[in-house]
Amino acid sequence: MSLQVRDLRWGHPQPGGGWRQLFDGFQLACPTGQFVVVIGSNGCGKSTLLNLIAGSLRAGGGSVQLDGRDLVGWPDYRRARVIGRVMQNPLDGTAPSLTIAENLRLAECRRSSVFGRRGLLGGLHPSRADRQRYRALLQELGLPLADRLDTAVGQLSGGQRQTISLVMATLGKPSLLLLDEHTAALDPRAEATVMELTERLVRRLGTTTLMVTHSLEQALRYGDRLVMLQDGQLIGDWSAAERQQFTPTSLRALYGSATVGAGSSTSP
Amino acid sequence: MLSIWIGALDQGLAYAGLALGVYLTLRVLNFADITVDGSFALGGGSAALLISRDVAPPLALLAAVALGALAGTVTGLIHTRLGVNDLFAGILTTTGLYTVTLRLMGRSNIPLTDPPLAIRHLPDLGLGPDGQWALALLLVVAGLIGFLALMLATDMGLALRALGNNPVMARANGISTGRGLTVGIAAGNGLVALAGALVALYNGFADSAMGIGSLILGLGAVIVGESVLRPRSVPMALLAVVVGSVLFRAMIALALQLGMEPVDLKLATALLLLAALALGRVRIPRLSDPGGRP
Repeated sequence: MSLQVRDLRWGHPQPGGGWRQLFDGFQLACPTGQFVVVIGSNGCGKSTLLNLIAGSLRAGGGSVQLDGRDLVGWPDYRRARVIGRVMQNPLDGTAPSLTIAENLRLAECRRSSVFGRRGLLGGLHPSRADRQRYRALLQELGLPLADRLDTAVGQLSGGQRQTISLVMATLGKPSLLLLDEHTAALDPRAEATVMELTERLVRRLGTTTLMVTHSLEQALRYGDRLVMLQDGQLIGDWSAAERQQFTPTSLRALYGSATVGAGSSTSP
Repeated sequence: MLSIWIGALDQGLAYAGLALGVYLTLRVLNFADITVDGSFALGGGSAALLISRDVAPPLALLAAVALGALAGTVTGLIHTRLGVNDLFAGILTTTGLYTVTLRLMGRSNIPLTDPPLAIRHLPDLGLGPDGQWALALLLVVAGLIGFLALMLATDMGLALRALGNNPVMARANGISTGRGLTVGIAAGNGLVALAGALVALYNGFADSAMGIGSLILGLGAVIVGESVLRPRSVPMALLAVVVGSVLFRAMIALALQLGMEPVDLKLATALLLLAALALGRVRIPRLSDPGGRP
């Protein structure tokens, strides 16, 4: 599904008084299936943008549309039925006391309200069929967790929990996937595993994806498009081909620079 | 001597709904719900009123459950819709419920002279009426454990468990925390009201003040049960809570046997719970702090 962010407005009070209008008519359009990597310095609005799209923050104006359907007015839990999300902290994405299979089940039925008749009378879950399906999925993805479906997620390492969070975010066929620095808390090995899985899942599902990262190596390696934010404005927008002109060093040099024209490609 | 322990078993089983209700709100939902003090008396008072007016006891019990669930719904809505702190929301409801229960009962005490007919038809196991009560209450409590174990294994039950475990994750997976909390608190208070009704039936009277200290009794049952059985699954946790309720009553019976004055029971119960928390053997979310204070 395509994502259209139009005229987005959002601001917040400053600690010393006054008001900071971070987003003031922000625009972003992502065609169906596009994998967009978002970079920018701290406080530029990357995570805030994801929070505004996911509904964790309420926009002061503008619209967020998925395939023409306006999500403004939808609470975050309702948006979560069409938006999969992986957060920075591995502790945020899973319920630690529940098993892997139970966590996956919750993610799988995200599209329906579990507090209706179906939630109570729809049978016991995760059922044997559910477990077989999850085992097959995890095996297909090459994850060793396939044999640990009945392990409480709280017993897993941070990397394993983030792996489960990622699989959960893509279950239930979300229309949009939001990844908010989802490898920032992981060691390099776990980061590589999670990023490789991210790439495979996004390509397999063809889900429109926004990935926020501080890793310039990731920014230059993954995704179909790279965008750079500064002070709530899009100051750089490059296709995968255009992105090849950068090195991590030259891209880092653009951080904090206001000279890059929004929506344009720029020489390093 | 045996009758004292059978009586403790009966009391423990009658109070099992209270322990299960507290388990549901505190352990599953991670919600410290003080409404139970009010909904326990509401359940007892409403059931006694209906039975004294010749309504069949099963219907009176169902009405008590419905009223308890309604009380829980009020607390849930005050907390989720108005953003009132969980403890304060429970205090508000339970304060209001004291008047509601008194108004409903019309007086502070309703006596119930005869046990329900169905109980007198049960085999007495050679133990007299207390044996018949034990059998009846065992059937009710076994049904409750079975029902709750099944409910918590549905998608709705999974969602409630996730919500208490990690509300951020729950919302990110499409679960309405407001609706979930309200449903869970309503269910918990329905169980508590059922316990109130059963205790009124067993004791042969309902009193408008019978709910005072119910939360502590429920907590005590949860703590004792979890300490003894160390459950690792939801059905075992439910069973542990019921066992805890019976053991807790047995401890009270023992204390009385050893000469403790009934008037000292509530203080002794509170001190017992405090000792369990202070020793750190059991961690109750939001009631015990692993880090402690300097």
